[in-house]
Amino acid sequence: MENTSYDIRQLNEKIHQASAFVDLLNLEINKVIVGQKYMVERLMIGLLAQGHVLLEGVPGLAKTLSIKSLSSAINARFSRIQFTPDLLPADVVGTMIYNQQRNEFMVRKGPIFANFILADEINRAPAKVQSALLEAMQEKQVTIGDTTFKLEEPFLVLATQNPIEQEGTYTLPEAQVDRFMLKVVIGYPTKEEERHIIRQNLQPEGQAKVQPVVDPQEILHARKLVREVYMDEKIEKYIIDVVFATRNPDEYKLGKLKPLIAYGGSPRASINLALASKAYAFMKRRGYVIPEDVRSVCFDVMRHRVGLTYEAEAENVTSENILSEILNAVEVP
Amino acid sequence: MRLKEKIFVFALLGCLWTTSPLMAQEQYQDYFQVKAIPDTTQIRIGEAVKISVTAKVMIYALKGAQIKVVFPNLPDSLNHLEIVERTPLDTIGSDANQKVWKQTITLTSFDSGRWELPPMKFEVFSVTDGSYDSVFTDPIFIDVNTVAVDTTKAFKPIKPLRSVAWNILDYWPYLLAALVLAVLIVFYFVFWRKRKPQTPPAPPKPSKPPYQLAMEQLEQLGKDKPWNTDVKSYYTQLTDILRQYFEQQFHIAALEQTSAELLQNIKPVTILNQQRDKLQAILVVADLAKFAKMQPSPQEHEDCLQKAIAIVEWTKATAMPANNPADNSTNQ
Repeated sequence: MENTSYDIRQLNEKIHQASAFVDLLNLEINKVIVGQKYMVERLMIGLLAQGHVLLEGVPGLAKTLSIKSLSSAINARFSRIQFTPDLLPADVVGTMIYNQQRNEFMVRKGPIFANFILADEINRAPAKVQSALLEAMQEKQVTIGDTTFKLEEPFLVLATQNPIEQEGTYTLPEAQVDRFMLKVVIGYPTKEEERHIIRQNLQPEGQAKVQPVVDPQEILHARKLVREVYMDEKIEKYIIDVVFATRNPDEYKLGKLKPLIAYGGSPRASINLALASKAYAFMKRRGYVIPEDVRSVCFDVMRHRVGLTYEAEAENVTSENILSEILNAVEVP
Repeated sequence: MRLKEKIFVFALLGCLWTTSPLMAQEQYQDYFQVKAIPDTTQIRIGEAVKISVTAKVMIYALKGAQIKVVFPNLPDSLNHLEIVERTPLDTIGSDANQKVWKQTITLTSFDSGRWELPPMKFEVFSVTDGSYDSVFTDPIFIDVNTVAVDTTKAFKPIKPLRSVAWNILDYWPYLLAALVLAVLIVFYFVFWRKRKPQTPPAPPKPSKPPYQLAMEQLEQLGKDKPWNTDVKSYYTQLTDILRQYFEQQFHIAALEQTSAELLQNIKPVTILNQQRDKLQAILVVADLAKFAKMQPSPQEHEDCLQKAIAIVEWTKATAMPANNPADNSTNQ
């Protein structure tokens, strides 16, 4: 095959080389994480596409361990914030404290000053704390007193939500959920995986330790390359079609979905779908995006961006059902 | 003062008297009468007193003059008396000789004692010459008594609720609504449900069998050789022809599936799965051409076209049953 003026082959090779660390990272994380390949893959997409991840799953599915392992494998700083109803914004971002010896106020930075943040059970804290975190996620900077501090890159927030025990929680508003690039719903491991988990946890020498195999600088370099991944206009059109089908389903012969959808994906959904597709292609060590990439990340990018009507909820229709219908109706390029 | 002077002064005063409003009042009082008559002057606390207020004008005395009568504007509450209701002005009793206005005012009082309803002021106003007069009713005294309680007797409990006999007329609005609803339901079942649902028009049958259509399109593609001008368009057309053929012939939603999904979903269709390698080769090259701006060699263009023709030819046995072309859409 010959190349066109746009040197895809060169880009492909460059990406093939640069993405080698993905396999290394996976190998290292798999030392301690059994199963949950899907979740780890999504964390990597978030990491490479500079998007934050909202995880929904019952407790005990290795959410904390996964992000901790990812952080250790990248040699980055990790911090965990357990969200509770009495948490204050200052507990997250930091505050000014008075130093009696020096007779001055000093900045005490909060746990948000790390590369990887696990915001555990984000819906348990009041709105002001949630918005403090979400603002930091968006702006990648925090202001304490009169001083603004840039957050260190790479900066990835993994927030978790428990799908059960909704009593006494503060549901994230749609506008704030939209700031998460991905919403990943994780399930239980298979029987075989669970057997491995038991054995791994009960072995006499204890759990394996994750060693740093990637430098944060490599991640930053990879992020730049992710944006260079070639996306053909046919793929762009496909992404736009999928997002528009959530807004105007009747234009795609999906009129039956219209009463089920309260609101469709925003332009941010299109941006994130394109970016996540590029990151997925990068992880598959390709320099170009194919429709499979879009479909692979579509559910995670779109599920929290499609609002359901009361009618849909009454009929137990989920956003996943709607997205499936859309993907089965929109023509693949 | 001399007698002449006295006569002159009295004559002058007499003239003034006859032209003064006082004289006019005297004149009005002749033909304008007002009355306020209570139906009772003894009530118990909270009971009503109806006062019939009447104003009467003798038309013969007006001599063509037009007058307006203004009824007293009583406040809602006055001197321990409360006005409960005022009826509109009524002109029953008017005839050619007199004009009558009537109003009934209902009063009550919640304070025991003897209370006075002060005289009510009626004003009569002449439209013709602008003169006016006021006429007053007599005051009314109303005795408001308390209920006599015999404190020497024992207290008795409050009487229980009295049940009222059920009367069908009390429920007529509800019965009417139920009847209308029942009629509507019957109407719905009798007329509406009998209407046949509008079935969507059946999709038009392809004018040609899928096999024939696919072969013609592929042959045309081979003749046009669009790869000479637009490689991406060529591979898009090539894969679209194959996907449409799979969709029409094998009922696989190939147009909405990615290459990997399509390769996965042809597995149950044995005859198609036998051509899997060829299809995979076409899809891989086509994806690279479509999404990665790769330009396959001219040999690869021809090769992909021949592979596509071979796939359609291979599935010909299923696509074209010997005697019954109508069954072309039979799935595997």
